[in-house]
Amino acid sequence: MALVVIIAAGPLTSLQDQGRFGLLAAGLSASGPMDWGAARRALGRLARPGRTLVEFTAGLELELREGPLELAGEGGQFSVRINGKAADWPLLFTLTAGDRLKIAPGPAGTYGVLAFSGEIATTPVLGSTATNTIAGLGGALLRAGDTLRLEPPGESGPGITPEGAALPTDGPIRVIPGLHWALFEPERRARFLASPFTITNRRDRMGVRLADPEQVFGGVALLSLISEPVVAGDIQILGHGTPIVLMRDHQPLGGYPRLATIITADLDRFAQTRPGETIRFQTISVQHAAALLT
Amino acid sequence: MRNDTPLILPLGDRAMVVRFAEVLSLAANSQALGLARVLNTDPIAGVAEIAPGLASVLLRYEPRTIGFDRLAGEVRLRLSGAERVALPEPRQLSAAIRFDGPDLPAVLSALGLDQATFIGLHNRAELTVLATGFAPGFIYCGLHPEALHMPRRSTVRPSVPAGTVLFAAGQTAVTATTIPTGWSVIGTTSFTNFDPTRADPLTLHAGDRIRFTEAA
Repeated sequence: MALVVIIAAGPLTSLQDQGRFGLLAAGLSASGPMDWGAARRALGRLARPGRTLVEFTAGLELELREGPLELAGEGGQFSVRINGKAADWPLLFTLTAGDRLKIAPGPAGTYGVLAFSGEIATTPVLGSTATNTIAGLGGALLRAGDTLRLEPPGESGPGITPEGAALPTDGPIRVIPGLHWALFEPERRARFLASPFTITNRRDRMGVRLADPEQVFGGVALLSLISEPVVAGDIQILGHGTPIVLMRDHQPLGGYPRLATIITADLDRFAQTRPGETIRFQTISVQHAAALLT
Repeated sequence: MRNDTPLILPLGDRAMVVRFAEVLSLAANSQALGLARVLNTDPIAGVAEIAPGLASVLLRYEPRTIGFDRLAGEVRLRLSGAERVALPEPRQLSAAIRFDGPDLPAVLSALGLDQATFIGLHNRAELTVLATGFAPGFIYCGLHPEALHMPRRSTVRPSVPAGTVLFAAGQTAVTATTIPTGWSVIGTTSFTNFDPTRADPLTLHAGDRIRFTEAA
């Protein structure tokens, strides 16, 4: 048994697990970690991890009231202090009662996760503890003053995360032409692949708005489309020409045109970008993308 | 509008969309429901989830078990069966609406109808739940007669609560959670189609029937 008190939490600090899959028709996307690869690595560093992770953004400070508690941190590059003393990120450490862990943003990345050798006591909703911020259900958004009680993990453990791991690369974000690719003019599609886009600060677990400095999507006619299925990674173009990449808490159906979909192997990397970063896109075949999954 | 050879499209590297039409029709909707039914009764190894939409079906699959091309072939094999499949007996339910929405006057004006005529036409026929899935418990119900067809609003209302009755594109929709919407808000109802404490959180599923009445 361990008890953790949240001293400070950035926005969008949430409980996540391996996702609430199978409920798209009920109107729920799976949620789960924004960086699946980081979650998988953190779970993999612990002998008996609990299923529920803490995902955080701008920083996290916690104190262990009862312990000990082993934990692993992964994702992005964060700066860590334990009782005021610098520690390494990724993190693997056993806190003892009274220890304070302080995580602050480092040189890169947006989302970090902490996995624990203990099961966070929280009631699953529809089979999952993942926080779905659009639907407002599941685990919870964590705030200063919240406490987490950890129990010994179950025998079965968390199993394998269902999303494919990413093979990290630099270079363009790779996309598969999307449901409405053919509705965009050939010249606009070519400019989409030739132009830079910038991450804006209008982003959360539902979507990331992109700035379009070359005005690739300026003057896109508002298309009246029948609502069709949406997946994480879809790049949709809003009526006034703003591109937005839909993320883990996306709505399962949508009526805006979808130009392309970021492949699984690059979606974690996209999630870890920061406002002001410039990205470029490159098309790839669905067969090639499947071959990149580990 | 009916398309006997639907388009089979990738949606990222682990999902496929089978699109029966680009314009909503009851025929395309029932084709989608038929295919979803066949895919559930005659499952394909590697398919993790099947979600019918308004005129399409989403298949989420595990690409390490089945590739896109082979999955497309398996889906094509099942399309002829989807033409003949018997859908389950629909659940029937009645929901009372208070026609007190802020956009009702604009709807009446756009359609050139008085309120009593509009409510009469709106409630006249039992409607089909065409799809679910836009938001938790959200239902699209249709189709209304042509006289009631009008587009979405040009602006999005940032937040409407659960139990809001929406109207656009020949359909009436009912929210079960707080959502933004570009549809006209025509009323409210006490019916909500989402209960996360149940293993199946939905009461009405695609293909079920709903009759709207005017709340006393």
